[in-house]
Amino acid sequence: MKMRHILSRLLRYLRRSLPLLILALLLAAASVILQILVPKRIGDAIDTIVGPGDVAFGALWGFLRTAGIFVLISAVSSWLMTLLLNRVCFRTVRDIRNDAINHITRLPLSYLDSRSNGEIVSRVITDVDQVADGLLLGFAQFFTGILTILGTLTLMFLTNVKIALVVMLLTPLSLFVARFIASRTFKLFREQSLARSAQTSLIDELVGQQKVVQAYSYESRAAESFDECDEKLCDCALKATFFSSLTNPCTRFVNSTVYAACTLVGSFAVIGGSLSVGMLTTMLAYAGQYAKPFNEISGVVTELQNALACAARIFELLDEPLPAVQEEGPDLPESLRGDISFTHVAFSYVKDRPLITDMNISVRAGSRIAIVGPTGCGKTTLINLLMRFYEIDSGTVTFDGIPLPDIPKSYLRRNIGMVLQDTWLSDGTIRDNIAMGRPEATDDEIKAAAKAAHAHSFIRRLPDGYDTVLGEHGGGLSAGQRQLLCIARVMLCLPPILILDEATSSIDTRTEWKIQDAFQVMMKGRTSFIVAHRLSTIKNADLILVMKDGNVIEQGTHDTLMSGDTFYRSLYLAGTAQ
Amino acid sequence: MRKLLRFMDGYRLRAVAAPLFKFFEAVMELLVPLIVASIIDTGIAQGDRGFIVRRVLLMVLFGVAGLAFAVTAQYFSAKVAVSFTGRIRRALFKHLGTLSYTEIDTIGTDTLITRLTGDMNQIQNGVNLTLRLLMRSPFIVLGATVMAYTVDHRAALVFAGLIPILAIVIFAIMLISIPLYRRVQERLDRVVGALRRNLAGVRVLRAFNKEAAERKDFGDRTKELEHEQRTVGGVSALLNPLTYCLVNLAILLLVYTGALRVEAGLLTQGAVIALYNYMSQILVELVKLANLIINITRAVACGNRVQSIFEITPSVVSPENAIPVDADAFADASSEEGVAAPVVSFRDVSLRYAKASSEMLSHISCDIFPGEYVGVIGGTGSGKTSLVQLIPRFYDITDGALSVFGRSVGEYDLDSLRSAVRVVPQKAVLFAGTVRSNLLFGNPNATDDELWAALEKSCAADFVRALPEGLDAPVSKGGSNFSGGQRQRLTIARAFVTDARILILDDSGSALDYATEQKLRRALREERNRTVLYVSQRAGALTGCDRILVLEDGELVGNGTHDELLSTCPVYREIAAASGLAVAEGGAV
Repeated sequence: MKMRHILSRLLRYLRRSLPLLILALLLAAASVILQILVPKRIGDAIDTIVGPGDVAFGALWGFLRTAGIFVLISAVSSWLMTLLLNRVCFRTVRDIRNDAINHITRLPLSYLDSRSNGEIVSRVITDVDQVADGLLLGFAQFFTGILTILGTLTLMFLTNVKIALVVMLLTPLSLFVARFIASRTFKLFREQSLARSAQTSLIDELVGQQKVVQAYSYESRAAESFDECDEKLCDCALKATFFSSLTNPCTRFVNSTVYAACTLVGSFAVIGGSLSVGMLTTMLAYAGQYAKPFNEISGVVTELQNALACAARIFELLDEPLPAVQEEGPDLPESLRGDISFTHVAFSYVKDRPLITDMNISVRAGSRIAIVGPTGCGKTTLINLLMRFYEIDSGTVTFDGIPLPDIPKSYLRRNIGMVLQDTWLSDGTIRDNIAMGRPEATDDEIKAAAKAAHAHSFIRRLPDGYDTVLGEHGGGLSAGQRQLLCIARVMLCLPPILILDEATSSIDTRTEWKIQDAFQVMMKGRTSFIVAHRLSTIKNADLILVMKDGNVIEQGTHDTLMSGDTFYRSLYLAGTAQ
Repeated sequence: MRKLLRFMDGYRLRAVAAPLFKFFEAVMELLVPLIVASIIDTGIAQGDRGFIVRRVLLMVLFGVAGLAFAVTAQYFSAKVAVSFTGRIRRALFKHLGTLSYTEIDTIGTDTLITRLTGDMNQIQNGVNLTLRLLMRSPFIVLGATVMAYTVDHRAALVFAGLIPILAIVIFAIMLISIPLYRRVQERLDRVVGALRRNLAGVRVLRAFNKEAAERKDFGDRTKELEHEQRTVGGVSALLNPLTYCLVNLAILLLVYTGALRVEAGLLTQGAVIALYNYMSQILVELVKLANLIINITRAVACGNRVQSIFEITPSVVSPENAIPVDADAFADASSEEGVAAPVVSFRDVSLRYAKASSEMLSHISCDIFPGEYVGVIGGTGSGKTSLVQLIPRFYDITDGALSVFGRSVGEYDLDSLRSAVRVVPQKAVLFAGTVRSNLLFGNPNATDDELWAALEKSCAADFVRALPEGLDAPVSKGGSNFSGGQRQRLTIARAFVTDARILILDDSGSALDYATEQKLRRALREERNRTVLYVSQRAGALTGCDRILVLEDGELVGNGTHDELLSTCPVYREIAAASGLAVAEGGAV
């Protein structure tokens, strides 16, 4: 991504805060300039204190008063500057994050599926923070740092050229030393992080599987290999920590040498009469504070680079094109009947690797369709297309004769209920989860749905019943219980089309048996797509779609399919050959 | 945190040396303003260039000495911090090995991993900084005050007044902002939570048209976060301007006081400059100190968390006079008596997990005899796993009596008991290493022949032989380079490698295809010198068992052969009927 593009995108976020930002920079400048002037006034004040009986109190008082006013104004403006910058910074962070969620909730699933959740989270959370910290606070630091250096240099040259030259020429030495140590320690830090990640992975394994370790009395051998790994880490950590901690003493040493040189040159200048004692003090104070912004700036530059890299990652997400939004037209019926047809449909996840090449299905409203086939045959893909999670490449799909592009996604999805093998539940209470499709449902309706899904009895036994709060990923419940909740969630809405993708795979056979009755009731009069391994379900289907390598290779009823030499027949015989 | 200091033993000298050398460095720095004062008062006043050069050289010399002291101090503190943390880490790791399942369940392995990694890094950092800087900064602050006192008693009063005020300001700001930062973190966690939900649940949320509601919820959470950030930002933004202001105003006061003293002939101009320099040193160090304290509070918090793990005592331990399991003696004794004694005997056993509201197992009574091949069946959550985990004493029973090899489980040495009772857990867990290292997990002395025999029995020999490196084939972390079924067979082989008299397979055949599982079951049936418990959800997997135990809601509702149970046990009848309808996993349909 081009630097200019990143900056212009950032500026768009900052536009709203531009007045605040300019004000902040003005305040920063004021604060820095006043801060530089304070030592000068103090030097002037010290010059009025010559010796016993030789103190010009009038002038002294004047200098001290201006210095005091400078100090106060500088402090107040630097405080205000921080407040303003914080405001801009946090507001921008919030704006970017809100834009990110707006985008994420609209992005096609093809984008989200091809990236890990962790990666997107780190963009929206860590990277955004880095941009705000690095760019805004870093920029402020950079700005004040440069101003301090320039201001100090100017004042030093105005006061005494020789000392100014000494400071200007020698101070970069400390930067050089710091850089030198940093480049040497870089390798050590890498070794340390390698050792650390080796150890973390050992810990993940041995502590994460502590139960197995104990079951096999492996504890002492585990400890041995841990100790060995830890020795290595300690060794690397010692080197990295020690060598990196040399930076401060070394730069301090260089600075104190510069200080000594200034004292020497300055004292000679005082003896030569070209400098006053007070000004020597001022120069020494400047020499002391001159090195500081350099160290800060060198840190800020890497931070700025890092921030730009982070910004590029965020904007890559935010610049991802969104599909066009479809308004719900008035000419759609209140709900679909459930006639579905696929004609010459082609689809692929990756452009050059065709998956579905020519799919033709025709389903009458209210019929029961079983999808059958080996793992990876494309069952999930078919669901992705029905729900319009993915767009077809060519061909036509119609619902009740209406072509898919004319049906808004929200309308379509309201008409389809789905229970997936992946039993995802939202954080929140069990009640919220069951009522996900109909937040306005009454308690009685929720309970009825839970009873129908055979979830009521275990929910009742939970300490907080329907108000039990589920952690992330429905933590605390077993896979089977989560699946029952997913079923209850659909039981509450009962749209005209149902998708059941191995909806009972985590439920033990006895409960599954019980729940079948509820499924029968649920499917009555509804178009249902069922991915299942139960023969009875498949046998009773009105239509069996046999899928292989992405395409429907056979379709028909159980009897028609069994009558020929079909792939279905071979699957069926393999499955029943006990 | 304090109790962790025992790990400092042997490093105490170095732990004292580090700040001591820092102190020397600080002394070097503190002497500089005095030298400058003498240059001004003597060298400049008398125009003695030689004196000035000598004094400046002295300054450089002090700088060199300071550098030497500092380097020594840095070395000691790095050494102490790294070694101290390493010791804690190793001790903690050992301690985790002693915790029993109950503690692991309550704490959670994620927490334990964080304690060993993130927390340890914070502690190391904290100790290092404490030794290096927490000592240096107070030295400089106090030292500057003392030096000011030697320069001029009266002027030192300004210092004496300023330092407590500064300390109060800095600590007040920190005390107010630390809990506020915690709130920021909580709000941030909420934002992350909402974001994760939108990614992990994207299909469900879109299926239910929840996008708009999610956007609103996320917006609310970022708004709360911004609010908290601004609050804490406003407080901590005060720190720098306030300290700057206080120190500089004190300098002005100092110069004024100094002027009065000089006027009265009690002080020299150089001395006033020295005082001014000391004051400047204080400011720099105090700000460092404030940042350090934040780091150190964090390290102490981590230390306390680590200490709290050390304080957890394992609930299941070997008793004081632990006896080893002697399966042969048990077999001899029971054959002498002529009547087989049960190898495992449950008598009215109940189990309630820590913090659980109801019993997981209630009043279980049954016997398992040597050489028997026993099936255990029941629905999800019926207590099958809990039941078999009691035998190797992964958990202690809450009520009743449980004896293994004729004695109460509580009398045995744990290691001995667990090598006599091997459990193959539900989840097939392999460790990074080789096939061999995984197989040797429970018995490091097994020969290659024994390994191959175990692989044969578990139907894993074929695919291991097909690997180019055979037994030395690498296994990646978690066994991810093997399929689920292969992993499961390797974990079963691992159990076969031991000479355990009791083998428990806890639903360990679920990822195997029908034919393989059948072969495995045949191998198990042939293990007549071992007692086998085979846990499954499906009745089909238990054909050929000598006896089947049926569990329902933590109670033993059936105990008999397949045929007996079909006529006496309604729960078993239902399970069998349901299984009969389902196609075995072996089928592709």
